[in-house]
Amino acid sequence: MEGEKAVYRGLLKRPVVKLLIRKVVFLFITYFVFITIIFALPRLVPGNPLAEMLANILQTMQATPELVRAVERRLMEEFGLHKPWHEQYIEFLGRMLRGDLGTSYSLYPRKVSELVFTYLPWTLGLLIPATLVSWIAGNTLGALAGYRRGGRFDNALLPVSLILSQTPYYWLAMILLYTFSVKLRLFPLGGAYPSHVVPSFTLEFIAGYLYHYTLPFLSIVLAAAGGWAIGMRVLVIYELRSDYVDFADSLGLSDRKLLQYVFKNSVLPQVTGLALNLGTILGGSLITELVFSYPGTGYLVFRALTRLDYPMIQGTFAILFLTLILANFLVDLVYMVIDPRIRTGYIGE
Amino acid sequence: MPSRILLEIFKIKKFTISLAIILLLLFIGLVGPSIYPTDPFEAVFRPEDPPSSKNPLGTDSYGRDVLAQLLHGIRMSLYIGFTASLIALAIGVAIGSIAGVKGGLTDEVLMSVTNVVLALPSILLMLLIAAYFKYRDPMLVSIIIGVTSWPWVARAVRAQLLSLRAREFVHFSRMAGYSDFRIAVEDLLPNMAAYIFMALVLLMSGAMMAEAGLSMIGVGITRGASLGIMLYWAQMLEAVRRGLWWWFVPPGSVLVALSASLLMISTALDEYFSPRLKGR
Repeated sequence: MEGEKAVYRGLLKRPVVKLLIRKVVFLFITYFVFITIIFALPRLVPGNPLAEMLANILQTMQATPELVRAVERRLMEEFGLHKPWHEQYIEFLGRMLRGDLGTSYSLYPRKVSELVFTYLPWTLGLLIPATLVSWIAGNTLGALAGYRRGGRFDNALLPVSLILSQTPYYWLAMILLYTFSVKLRLFPLGGAYPSHVVPSFTLEFIAGYLYHYTLPFLSIVLAAAGGWAIGMRVLVIYELRSDYVDFADSLGLSDRKLLQYVFKNSVLPQVTGLALNLGTILGGSLITELVFSYPGTGYLVFRALTRLDYPMIQGTFAILFLTLILANFLVDLVYMVIDPRIRTGYIGE
Repeated sequence: MPSRILLEIFKIKKFTISLAIILLLLFIGLVGPSIYPTDPFEAVFRPEDPPSSKNPLGTDSYGRDVLAQLLHGIRMSLYIGFTASLIALAIGVAIGSIAGVKGGLTDEVLMSVTNVVLALPSILLMLLIAAYFKYRDPMLVSIIIGVTSWPWVARAVRAQLLSLRAREFVHFSRMAGYSDFRIAVEDLLPNMAAYIFMALVLLMSGAMMAEAGLSMIGVGITRGASLGIMLYWAQMLEAVRRGLWWWFVPPGSVLVALSASLLMISTALDEYFSPRLKGR
C-alpha cells in the first residue's frame, strides 16, 4: 500500500507527467470558459435572441396550439429564463456535462446531440486525413525547397505555396468544382456518396464515397499544404546554419541523410503550429462542406445559424470545441513523444 | 536614420510589388464606385449574363451588375479588414505591453487570460457571437473579428518587450528614475514600431479572410456588399454548378491577391529586420 503510494508520488514528480497534468487542467479550463461564453452570449446580446427564436418558431411551424405550448415549455425548461441567472448557469453546466444538448427547433423534436453525432463522422472523415496529408506533404516539400534554397524547385514552389496558403479552402473548392465537375465532368457535383447507394461496407458504397471524396479532400489538402510548406522552408533555412550541419557536411554525409537530420530538428514548431491551427482548419473545412453539399457538421452549423436554432448552435459548437480540445491534446502528446528534451526531462515546459 | 531604412525597404522588390498591389486595390475600392456608378444592388439587367461591354463582369441571378458589387465589395472588405485589425491591435498591444512592462502578478494574470483566449478557436468564437445579432453592420462585424483575434499579438508584443527591457538603454532610463509609462513610450515603442506594423498587416489579412468566412456561413454583414457576401450569394444560388464563373472567380481572386500581398509585405519586413534570414 505504502509502496504503491510512493510509486504514484514518484510518477507525479516526473516532468512529463507534471506537464501532462498541467495541459489537461488548462484544456479543462478553456472548455469551461467556452461553455460559459456559450451560456452568456444569448443573455448578454441586446434584443433577446431567445424570444426572437420563439417568435420565429411560432411563425414558421404552422403549429397547432398544443405544439406551440410544447415548444414554449421546452424552451422555458432548456433555457430556464424565468429563473435567476446563477441557477440557469448551474443547470446549463449540469446538462452540458451530462451530454444533454437540448432539442433542435428547426428539426423539432430531434435531439441536438443525436443530430451532431450523425453529421460529425462525415466531417471528421474528411478533416483528419486531409489535415494529416497536407501537413506531411507541405512539410516535406517545404523542407526540400529550403534545403536547396534558391534552386529551381524552391523558385517554383515558393510562389505557388504562398498563393495557396492565402487561398480560402472554400474558394479553392469552388474553383476545383467548377473546373473538374462542371467543365470537365470528371467528378460528381456534390454530396458524400451516390444518391442511389445506402451507406454500408460494400464495395459499391466505398468506391462511390471515394469518388465523391476526391475534390473536397484535394481542396483542403492543397490550400493547407501551402502554409506548411512556407513555414517549414524557413525553419529548414534557419536550421542549416547550425554547426552540426557544417560538420556533417564536411564529413561527407549524403544529402539524403543530412536532410533527414535537418528535417527532424526543425519539424517541432510545425507540430505546435498544427495544434494552434486546428481551429482555423476546422472552420475552413466546415465552409468547404457547404460548397460540396457535403452532409457534415458544416451543413448543421449553417442550418442552425440561418434559422436561429439556438439550442443547435450551442450544442454543435460545444461538441466541435470539445473535438478540437481532444485533437489538441493528441497533438501535444505527439509533441511530448517526439521532443527529446521533454522525453528525457531536460526541460519542464 | 529612419528615412534611410525606408529607402532600403523600398528597394526590396517583393515589398514594393506587394505594396503596389495593395495600393492599387485600395484605390479601386475608394474611387471605383464613383468612376463606375452602376448601382450594385439594383436588379435591372438580364440575369446571369456573361461578361459583356455593358456589364464587364456579367450579372448575377437577380440581374445585378457583378463589377459594381466587386468595387463596393473591395471597399467594404478593406474597411472591415482595417477596422477589425486596428481593434485587435489596440487590445493586443495594450495587454501585451501592460504585461511586459508591469511584470509580476499582472503579467501572470494577463497572460493566463491571453492563453485561454488563444486556445479558443477564433473562427468558432466569431461565428458564435455573430449568430446572436440579428442585424450586423460593418462596425459590429469588425468588432466581433477584432475582439477574437488579438491574443497572438499580445503574446508577441510582450515577448518583444521582455527582450528589449533587458537592453542597456532601458536600464539607464530606469536608473534615471523615469516612470514605467515614460520608458514604455520613449524607449520601447519606437523600437517596436516595425514589429507592430507587421502585426497590423497580418491582422488585416486575417480579418478580411474572417469576414469572408463569416459571410459564407451566413453571419456576415446583413446589408451591403463585401467580397464575402458576394461569395455567399454565389454559393447560395449555385453559381458554381450553373457555370457562372464571373460571379465567384473575381471576389475570390481579389481576396487572395490582397491577403498574399499583405503576407509578402510582412515577410519582406521580417527578413529585413531580422538578419537571421538574410543570405547564407
